[in-house]
Amino acid sequence: MDPLSKALGEIRRVLDDEFFQESVKRAAGHAEEKVPDILDSHPYLKELAREVRRVKEEVISNLDYYIEEAMKSIERIGGKAYLASDASEAREIVGRIVGRGKLVVMSKSMTAEEIGLREYLESLGNEVWETDLGQLLIQLEGGKPMHSVAPAIHLSRERVASLLREKLGFEVPEGARPEDMVRMVRSFLRSKFERADVGISGANAIAAETGSIVLVENEGNIRLVTGLPPIHIALAGVEKIVPTLMDAIKVALVQAAYDGLYPPNYINVISGPSATADIEHVRVRGAHGPLQLHVVLLDNGRLEASRNQLLREQLRCIRCGRCQWECPVWQHTANLWGGPAYGGPMGVIWTAITMGVDAAAGLSMLCLGCRRCDYVCPVEIPLSRILLGLKRIYAHGLLGGQG
Amino acid sequence: MASASPLKALLEFLRDSTLRVGLPVPLPMEEIYSWALPLRLPRMGSVILYTGALYQLMPYIESLTRYLSALEGSRVSDTLLRLARILIATPKLTRTLLAPEPARVERARRILTNISRLLSSSGVAHAYPYEDDLYSGVLLYDLGLDDAFAEVAGRVYRKLKEHGASTVITVDPHTTNILRNVYPSYVDGFDLEVVNYLEVLSRAAEESRIRLRGLVSEAVIHDPCFYARYLHIIDEPRKILERSGVKVLEPRRSREATYCCGGPVESVAPRLASKIAETRLKELAEKSKNVVVLCPICYTNLSRANKLGLRILDIAEVVEAEVPGSGSPQ
Ligand code: SF4
Repeated sequence: MDPLSKALGEIRRVLDDEFFQESVKRAAGHAEEKVPDILDSHPYLKELAREVRRVKEEVISNLDYYIEEAMKSIERIGGKAYLASDASEAREIVGRIVGRGKLVVMSKSMTAEEIGLREYLESLGNEVWETDLGQLLIQLEGGKPMHSVAPAIHLSRERVASLLREKLGFEVPEGARPEDMVRMVRSFLRSKFERADVGISGANAIAAETGSIVLVENEGNIRLVTGLPPIHIALAGVEKIVPTLMDAIKVALVQAAYDGLYPPNYINVISGPSATADIEHVRVRGAHGPLQLHVVLLDNGRLEASRNQLLREQLRCIRCGRCQWECPVWQHTANLWGGPAYGGPMGVIWTAITMGVDAAAGLSMLCLGCRRCDYVCPVEIPLSRILLGLKRIYAHGLLGGQG
Repeated sequence: MASASPLKALLEFLRDSTLRVGLPVPLPMEEIYSWALPLRLPRMGSVILYTGALYQLMPYIESLTRYLSALEGSRVSDTLLRLARILIATPKLTRTLLAPEPARVERARRILTNISRLLSSSGVAHAYPYEDDLYSGVLLYDLGLDDAFAEVAGRVYRKLKEHGASTVITVDPHTTNILRNVYPSYVDGFDLEVVNYLEVLSRAAEESRIRLRGLVSEAVIHDPCFYARYLHIIDEPRKILERSGVKVLEPRRSREATYCCGGPVESVAPRLASKIAETRLKELAEKSKNVVVLCPICYTNLSRANKLGLRILDIAEVVEAEVPGSGSPQ
């Protein structure tokens, strides 16, 4: 079935689902009000967003150069860097590092979702756990994350309780409160963190200058995923590279603010594997944190997009999800509109970048062209203009070039 | 590629109808211009009132959408295609088949008549192109049919020039935006000044060239996306309403943050369009039972979903020129 008909079918099923509609709208409504408040109370954020826009533009214009610089820097500080040209190559690289029969903990990563990493590692016979609570619920449900930052907004507490009962065997009493369930999940995942062989994370930004990875979060699971297991693998799209560590921190701050979570609880900076020189000043790699750090940079259409006039500006995206919160279509469909991994206005375009224009062009027909997204994007991506370009491609295809 | 879908049939229908008849729904042209006959507007002039047919078309597009809603999710494109060809060849038949509510057709005529009167009362003389008041092609552009759109844009421009236009007054956000912001990159040598009647009217009211009166005492305003975020026509309607004595209430999402009425996806996903309209209506209703809209697409889409019994009115149904000695507003 073509992507548009498929999406329309899925959307039709949720349009009359009261709970789905209400919870998506409630979450979006909060974000719509919270973000302007945050921006008003911390006026420097808009300036930071402008700086992020500028450095992202610089990197997109010289992507090959920055990939090379980032890889050199990562190796210089004792990490291993890889460049995967497509999803299957990325899966294989990660698969080779992980091996079989291992225990793997993951922190939420849209890039991992993009390449189907969890499913692949499971197929190799590994035990794999998502550790972001929302993403874990998605894993248990077997569905698709419904928002880049808040993946499980469509699940009620009753649904969460029954997932925990059915899939994890928890004894969740009737009428359990969210805090009770969070506590159960926490103690369940603690045992996984302690024994995990490998931790896999994404990255909000990678500094070409220092090879540092920056990750922003609120749950605290990323610090555990990237800190406890002996091996840490970070998977990131090449567009996550920025020139300096300072730029990378700015990305993290802007991402958190425009998602409506500011100040963020934690920002993690990871520059190479852990090390100590406390015994006779001999430098030993691997102290309390991981012994190995692998950084897998993913191309998967991004380099080509950086040279494509229609798509290139989307590479500035820092995945804050604000265009999703604000989009009237998204507020009624969540990520059921956008493609297999990504959703909303930015999702359609990311699908075009990572799966090809044919997989996304039809989906653009659901864009209202209302421009709410353009108005709120921190890095001023002209989303509705790009979507209009995709509509053209679709209409031409549909009418055999007689648009 | 999706070979035979209802969407394909629809796109072809809109394209062929606009190219052949000058309207996205094939109707006799008098449906578009008959409102102007009693006003005896001149055919030629440097200032042309160009409606782009949107107000007049909406009642027909609404009935067409009802048919499409019934077909949503089905695959009956062959029949549709054959029917579409017959309709394009016989505009009178289309009018009969679509049979919109007479009150809706009448309403569009009344609105345009009032707009023309408001302009005249402001001292802005204008001509009207009658059978050349063609559709601007907005829908073709929005749906990605830009080759056909380019052809339509060129034709509309030539016709307006033939009527002597150097300034064009537009009456809805979509036609205003397409002429002001899009035509210049599709039509070689495009040299028309495009002004919107709300801009003309708010200036005239400010300069006291016209006295206005309102027909309701208060209303919540629904900014259309294209005025708010494409054209920045935001303060003008507010000034006009206030000068008319209408108290303007702001909904939760207003001005640049205004919410879409859902209309633009009506042809692709009618149910989704209605849901978006319902969401918007709920927050408008929090402020007032009277809703003022500024766009015929907003009117149609919000009215279709109006289960809350709101009174939805176009700004040109709420405001009129006060003729000296005609008494005070109700
Ligand atoms: S497109 Fe802009 S608003 Fe949307 S997720 Fe990316 S950075 Fe955020």
